Amino acid sequence: MPGFSLNINNKQYSVEAEADMPLLWVLRDLLDLTGTKYGCGVASCGACTVIMDGDAVYSCQRPVGACVNKKIITIEGLSEDGSHPVQIAWQKAAVPQCGYCQPGQIMTVAAMLGKNKKPSAETISSAMSNNLCRCGTYHRIKEAINIAIEEINK
Amino acid sequence: MNKVNIDRRHFIKITSLASGGLVIGFMLPGMQALAIPAFDCEFFQPGAYLRIDKKGKVTVFVAKQESGQGVDTALPMIVAEELDVDFKDVKAEIAPYGTLKQGEHDTGGSQSVLNMYSQLRNAGAIAKAMLIAAAAATWNIKESSCAADHGEVVNTISMKRIKYGDLVCQAALLPVPKKVTLKNPKDFNLIGKSEQRTNLKDILTGKTKYGLDIKVDGMLYAVAERCPVLDGTLVSVDDSAAKKIPGVIKVISYKATGAPMHVRAGVAVIASNIWAAIKARKLLNITWDEGKKNKESTEELFKTFAAKAGAKPQIDVFNKGDVSTYTGKNEITATYAAPFLAHATMEPVNFIASVKGDTCELWGGLQLPDWTVNTISKEFGFKKENIKVNLALMGGAFGRRLHFDFAMEAVKIAQQTDKPVQLVWERTDDIRFQPYRPANYHFLNAGFDANENLVAWQHHVLGTPVAYMTDGPGAKEAPEMDGADQGFCYDVPNVHTGYTPVDFNINRGWLRAVDICVNTFPVESFIDEIAQKLKKDPLQFRLSMLENRPDFKTGDGPGALVQSPARVAGVLKMVADKIGWNDKRKPNHYIGLATHSFIFAKSYAAHAIEIELLAPKKFRITRVVAAIDCGLVINPDGLLNQMEGGLAFALTQALKGEITVSNSRVIQDGFFSYELLRYDEMPPVDVYMIDSKEEPGGVGEVGLPTVAPALCNALAAAGYRPRTLPIRNEGFSWV
Ligand code: FES
Ligand code: FES
Repeated sequence: MPGFSLNINNKQYSVEAEADMPLLWVLRDLLDLTGTKYGCGVASCGACTVIMDGDAVYSCQRPVGACVNKKIITIEGLSEDGSHPVQIAWQKAAVPQCGYCQPGQIMTVAAMLGKNKKPSAETISSAMSNNLCRCGTYHRIKEAINIAIEEINK
Repeated sequence: MNKVNIDRRHFIKITSLASGGLVIGFMLPGMQALAIPAFDCEFFQPGAYLRIDKKGKVTVFVAKQESGQGVDTALPMIVAEELDVDFKDVKAEIAPYGTLKQGEHDTGGSQSVLNMYSQLRNAGAIAKAMLIAAAAATWNIKESSCAADHGEVVNTISMKRIKYGDLVCQAALLPVPKKVTLKNPKDFNLIGKSEQRTNLKDILTGKTKYGLDIKVDGMLYAVAERCPVLDGTLVSVDDSAAKKIPGVIKVISYKATGAPMHVRAGVAVIASNIWAAIKARKLLNITWDEGKKNKESTEELFKTFAAKAGAKPQIDVFNKGDVSTYTGKNEITATYAAPFLAHATMEPVNFIASVKGDTCELWGGLQLPDWTVNTISKEFGFKKENIKVNLALMGGAFGRRLHFDFAMEAVKIAQQTDKPVQLVWERTDDIRFQPYRPANYHFLNAGFDANENLVAWQHHVLGTPVAYMTDGPGAKEAPEMDGADQGFCYDVPNVHTGYTPVDFNINRGWLRAVDICVNTFPVESFIDEIAQKLKKDPLQFRLSMLENRPDFKTGDGPGALVQSPARVAGVLKMVADKIGWNDKRKPNHYIGLATHSFIFAKSYAAHAIEIELLAPKKFRITRVVAAIDCGLVINPDGLLNQMEGGLAFALTQALKGEITVSNSRVIQDGFFSYELLRYDEMPPVDVYMIDSKEEPGGVGEVGLPTVAPALCNALAAAGYRPRTLPIRNEGFSWV
């Protein structure tokens, strides 16, 4: 089985996997980084979102073979202790219900704000509209995004 | 000094509960416990629900299964209130399976707070009484001279304080009091104030472990291909290509089982990782025998409903007065319909089973673990005591995990390997092989007297009952009529409601808000439609049939539910007031109202929805106002989250949620075809709570039923009355 060296959360990991294994399963099954969630496997829900070289990407759509030499951040590595402004905002707005979609939501917002500290309403909508939340916490996600934007622009 | 007698039975209980954690120095009967510094313990656990350690940290063992509804916070709050501890010193853990009475783990029907409220208050009060007794003994004063305060006992004479943590080992030796005094609710200082979820930080940092995240030593993974038609059988499988995928260990097959869970015949790929199993599954070449019932379609089903709708209901459900006197004169009739729906929890169902000889161990999220164990025991022949269950947190449930078809599949698969195996449902499985919310159809008829008073109401519900699936073909008397039975809240002198079951060859199950949601859409649409036809104000028209009607019981037994038309009216008036019902509407803006009683959870809710009409049948939801009366509120922020989320869940159903069937196969296979509400479609919402001293009700479902009718009533006010959900099928579109 081929081996890959991956940079995840600023650590170097080496894994043995088939080259077509999606990063999602590498993270979850091989590295036990289960904060990244499986929701559909086909780019329809956003639960598996991680940040790769600054972009929010669906880890279910990235074969591990295409993840070498990339800087990958997962929810576990977004901050040491939950202190990333987006996590703090999520806490303030008490967003989660079941919480299952939230790592994906948070990573999407963190990537968006990483590139643009003052995104327009349209930018936010288009960034967020593919992250599904069956519990329906969108109202609070919206509030949390506003809190995060305010915080990082202070 | 008071003597502390050791109740030997209790003593043994603590020892065993402590599972080795209770370290006993040397105890002789009759010794003064407080004079024995050698006595030590790890913690104090007076019963199944809570434990206090020597640092004063409290662990509440939550009997109800957490799936996002917030029981892991609301239930510990109830304990903490009576115990008088700071909530930051409280953590929640899942009550291990087997530590509670049968049925206590059951989670559904918005019953968690209702069921647990008194028990948890008692549990907290008992622990507090024992800590106080231990402190009183230490100070050699009366218990009545002690008070509890923020995790400490206060000597009200000397004003000295002892921390709970320093009292736990003495308290653990005391007999458990049979009777304790509970707080007067007016002295509550935790209940009624918002607390953040106990596991919030874990969720936000990705540490939370849901069922799908559990790893058991040596565990393998499985995904399964299932017969596309329910009750079909496997003819043959060619697995030669699948087996070539690296990581695949074996391919096995298993037979279907019928009621209550309707597991389909399947072929499972077992592999060392999920990806290998998923890839290999695609390479299976399977021939199924679909059986005879493989030609059914929802198109035909709705034709059958329509054909039977005008006839007499097969089952009479509720009769009052005599509707026949009025039928045929001054009447309005209408029909409404709604489709099958899937739960689509974000965490697809999954389950781990390990079978070793005549024992079986299970891991996963279950809303009804006792029923699961009982059925698995019966079906597979394991003695109940040989089935060990490890309950897991759920990434959404909504009724999906009341069903345990996936757990039975996992056992079927695990029986064929010597390792623990986690069965993972891919999203396509989740959408295609659900226990679906029944499809339903409604025929309503209203009659008036000469003064245009509503004097007769008939409601014929047609549906594909859940009971046919869970109870088998014997369940012929299976009306699913909550919201349209004897609890019908409007004061109409002559009422007749009835049900006609229609069978259909796909599995059905309970979906959040169940029949009440099914039946409130037609009831609240029709009431509005009548008001519209009679040119009466829809608010006043409803109130005229609610406000003067006293509370009434909906049955004879002692457990009969009580319907309160006044509370149904109360939430309605609240939303009407908050949205400005009597104000002049902005151009092209229309408001719809709907109210109801979620009777078996003792809660009431209404919605007012304002739309802006942009073009014929094209609209934007500009404002949503919700009101809820659920008696005493435990955690207001948790309640708000449920109401906001309930709105999103219900809007999915109103706008676009639909499962269709052709050739007895579900057409939708994922989120591209079974669409959920999205971020940019979430309207602004304000939720108001009615201040109430009534006993607490349940809030997980009450926020759904009035959403679709309120939206449809707004559209009707704009000139377009929707009759079928999702309204997208009637040509509506929204921005
Ligand atoms: S799991 Fe990747 S988008 Fe759904
Ligand atoms: S919080 Fe449950 S799916 Fe989003």
